[in-house]
Amino acid sequence: MTSPLEADAGMRSASAERTTAVRLPAFILATLAWLVPAFAVWYFAAPIVVAPVVWLARIVALVGLHDTVQAIEQTGSIATFVTTLRAATSGARGVVIVDVNTLLYSFGMPLFAALTLAARETAWKRHLALGYVAMLPFVAWGVLAEFLKNVAITAGPAIASQAGFAPWQRETIAFAYQFGSLILPAVVPAVLWVALHGAFIARLHGRASTSAA
Amino acid sequence: MRRFLIVFIALLAVSFGFELTPFAQTYVVTPWTDAVAHMSAALMRGFDGSITTSGNVIGSKASAFAVSIEAGCNGLEATLVLLAAIVAFPAPWKHRLRGLALGVLAVQALNIVRVASLFYLGQWNRDVFEWAHLYVWQALIMLDVLIVWVVWMRWMPRRGRDAGLAVPA
Repeated sequence: MTSPLEADAGMRSASAERTTAVRLPAFILATLAWLVPAFAVWYFAAPIVVAPVVWLARIVALVGLHDTVQAIEQTGSIATFVTTLRAATSGARGVVIVDVNTLLYSFGMPLFAALTLAARETAWKRHLALGYVAMLPFVAWGVLAEFLKNVAITAGPAIASQAGFAPWQRETIAFAYQFGSLILPAVVPAVLWVALHGAFIARLHGRASTSAA
Repeated sequence: MRRFLIVFIALLAVSFGFELTPFAQTYVVTPWTDAVAHMSAALMRGFDGSITTSGNVIGSKASAFAVSIEAGCNGLEATLVLLAAIVAFPAPWKHRLRGLALGVLAVQALNIVRVASLFYLGQWNRDVFEWAHLYVWQALIMLDVLIVWVVWMRWMPRRGRDAGLAVPA
């Protein structure tokens, strides 16, 4: 069975796509409409959607943080960092564990999906796949930066001293965390969408696109 | 497109780095955030007389509920993104400045709607508040920035627009 989107895509040729102007209000409404199912899919499929993010974080931790991180486990959308750091409370025996909510850094995925589906280009499946893969490292950045911020800054001097970060490293971690939480999650999907939809944006300008393919 | 992306990312990193400095926090971020709180409260007082403000905190005398406007909720980062996108795109400076003035207004107007909506959502249901606060409104504000940028390019004189849009698809 062919979906309405596929049927629609099949009817329009690539050349027609390049020469037909697009109405901006219609595109905005379509994006808002697609945001609802996109958010629902992202949220309910989060354990699968963010699994590659946890794998990436594991690889980075294995290479660069093996002294600090023993394991990274995933429960739903939560990435749990099991560290080698000892709990600082007197009498406490055990290691420090840090939970990071991966949804905080991946909410741009439904935004990218909604924008891509609203654009209704024939290559929408390829764009969705490319965008998803391209966003993974940036989501992993946010997840790792939050973990590092927790052990290097938030957890206090007793834990931070075990982690052994120099002052300049703590400053770098603080910047990476702020950039990874306030800028990247929202900006990366928008930038990727713009980069993948140059011809569509030209048509949004209300003129036929003559840009190079 | 490549030049645009490089300049955009560089401008964004530099302006965001500046935002995190103590100087910018004291003289830009704090006054900006307080102004967002006061403007949001002024809007809400139009239909809710119980609204109070103190610095970056908006409260309700009726429900004893209060929210604090923090980094990420003051619309400053969205404004920096818009600034970087407009400055990075090849356009006459006059057109850039006009776009920045109107664009910042558009982004902040929606941000005030965000603050007001979150204030009432928080009193109604904490789970819905968290969802709207952490995910939905973040995406909507960035969508707003993207739309403002596209509209700005649409208004651009034809010559500059064509130069900027000669991009591979």
